[in-house]
Amino acid sequence: MTFVISGECCSDASCVAVCPMNSIHPAPGEPGFGAGASLFIDPRTCIDCGACADICPVDAAQPADRAAPEDVERNAAYFAEREALEATDLDSWEPPAYQVWGRGPQRVLVVGAGPAGMYATRELLLRTTARITVVDRSEQLGGLVRFGVAPDHPCTKQIIGTFERIVRHPRVRWLPGTEAAALVQEYDAVIHAVGARRSRRLGIPGEEAACTAEDFVAWCNGRPGAALPVELVGPRAVVVGNGNVALDLARILLSDQLDTADVSQQVRRTLAASGIKQVVLLGRRGPGEAAYTESALQELLAIAGDRVELRYHARPTGWTPEGLTLDTGETIAAGNLFTAIGFEGQPVDGLPFDAARGIVPNVRGAVVDRPGHYVAGWIKRGARGGIGVNKACAQETVQTLVSASRGAASQGS
Amino acid sequence: MDQTAERLLGSANRLSRDPETEIDWDAPVGDGYGMSPEWSTLYGTPYWDELTEAQQRELTRHEAASVATTGIWFELILQQLILRDVYDKPARSAEFQWALTEIADECRHSIMFARATERLVEPAYRPPFVTRELGRMFKALASGESAYAAILVAEEVLDVMQRDWMRDRRVEPMVRTVNHIHVVEESRHMVFAREETRERLAGAGRARRWVSALVIAIAADMIVSSMVGRQVYVNLGLDADRAVREARRNEHHRSLLRTSCANLMDFLGSVGLLTPAAARVYRRTGLL
Repeated sequence: MTFVISGECCSDASCVAVCPMNSIHPAPGEPGFGAGASLFIDPRTCIDCGACADICPVDAAQPADRAAPEDVERNAAYFAEREALEATDLDSWEPPAYQVWGRGPQRVLVVGAGPAGMYATRELLLRTTARITVVDRSEQLGGLVRFGVAPDHPCTKQIIGTFERIVRHPRVRWLPGTEAAALVQEYDAVIHAVGARRSRRLGIPGEEAACTAEDFVAWCNGRPGAALPVELVGPRAVVVGNGNVALDLARILLSDQLDTADVSQQVRRTLAASGIKQVVLLGRRGPGEAAYTESALQELLAIAGDRVELRYHARPTGWTPEGLTLDTGETIAAGNLFTAIGFEGQPVDGLPFDAARGIVPNVRGAVVDRPGHYVAGWIKRGARGGIGVNKACAQETVQTLVSASRGAASQGS
Repeated sequence: MDQTAERLLGSANRLSRDPETEIDWDAPVGDGYGMSPEWSTLYGTPYWDELTEAQQRELTRHEAASVATTGIWFELILQQLILRDVYDKPARSAEFQWALTEIADECRHSIMFARATERLVEPAYRPPFVTRELGRMFKALASGESAYAAILVAEEVLDVMQRDWMRDRRVEPMVRTVNHIHVVEESRHMVFAREETRERLAGAGRARRWVSALVIAIAADMIVSSMVGRQVYVNLGLDADRAVREARRNEHHRSLLRTSCANLMDFLGSVGLLTPAAARVYRRTGLL
């Protein structure tokens, strides 16, 4: 027996660090890390010790005999073309890298209590003696983990427990429901981890009557003040987008098992009453370019079966109450259009902004031409990568921040 | 519990290591570092910069030997804690058999550490007298979650250091192998200790949790503070007063310790063992 990682993997790589056999890949720094959503365990070298499962913040690592067969297969398939790494040959491991201590800033402001902000706070606690203030516009911490992750993935939300412990640290001051602007002057350094919450637009006529992924997911998760901006009309809906968010959306629309999910009665009733029985998932490019992960697709197909239709190379040109028109002239009759074609960052007051990429321009997290200002998470690298990828991202930012006030990083051998 | 124990027994079957045959104890030992220099108690201090490279290397070898000695000391405690804990458990249960497997592992590790330190440096190290006596008391009295969480603390702190050293090409090859053997087998021990801690704490009242949390924190302080002592600097002919002073204030080292204990603190927090009193001790020791 071995362990396997399921599709709920958060990729924060804490399992990579505890695996005594170097069996978990792609590790941070290896090709593919941060691109896909999942990490995999090499069944050829796993010794079944369970250290990965013990540390996994979202319970995605499981013994193979208790995991879904497709998870077992996916883990094995990832390594099919790769040589097994011989863990007892210690030179096949990455050498350690060290950060040399200096004084570092003493007062740091972290803006945003989502995964990027919380991982940055954690890293600051470990690497500096700074006092850290964390602010968020929302009254609750967790950001997209709380209000962006599909409600039928409760394991992923467990990570909020870790975040809550971080803000209880005596060197952390947590100010929920606070705007950052007034505070910035009081700090030696500011880490902006404000994410990229706004949905991208298709830019077609009639789109204002569609529902964005941002609105839908916020409504499902009960974000305070969030309302569903459209009336749900069956029997068919179109979801434009080929990322995991689009798949989440389609899955929730078609799921008959939301009873076990963490959603309000009202959300459940509205979905049940919608009469939506069929979803067309529209990719503007081919299946080869699709951004969803294999495991997310399997999960959707398992729940929705033939009630979901996957279409590729389809360019929408307009939306009317009759349906969605494509550039071929065809119209897909549907009651609702949902768009899930990615998120984009919004400009941050006082910082430069790269509108084309939707990010604050930065070098390894340091905002260009704004000393003392740093970015982490989606506003730093664009809206790509799952929750845990923010850990490596935040580590890089904090390393840059700390190095700015001290000597260069010391590379291990 | 039995399910975890069964799994761990299976894992031990898949890969158990025998330092006796895996390490060529007669091969000459080179002049590599004893640990990653960044892990030295003096790294990053002005004193470190004044040392020659040869002195720095020698310092890390003595520090590694001293840390290993603390490892042996704690493994002795641990073996007794486990033996006392399973004394009247049914011998056929997986939990019992795993417990004895762990004791056997620890026993081999202690011999391995002893031989490795003997080959690495001339003088022998020992934890200070007071620490040894307190350890004597602890191993006679501790039980339940205090025993298992203390085991976890000791293993986890050592484990993260050793993961760095085993991957470091600058470190003496024999030491790297010793560290990897320890890391592989400890990963199973830590899974077991976490499971036992969780189980013993289920249903524990606030008062008991408070006391246990504090006992564990104090044990952690003893373990960490006895890893590298004054004698190391004396044996190297350094100004021991100055070395102790600078080591104590070494924020680089404290930062490394905090980082290595991050997972441990997460775990203690999640099972309610990071009470305010315990957290104060961990902060003073430099683990939080």
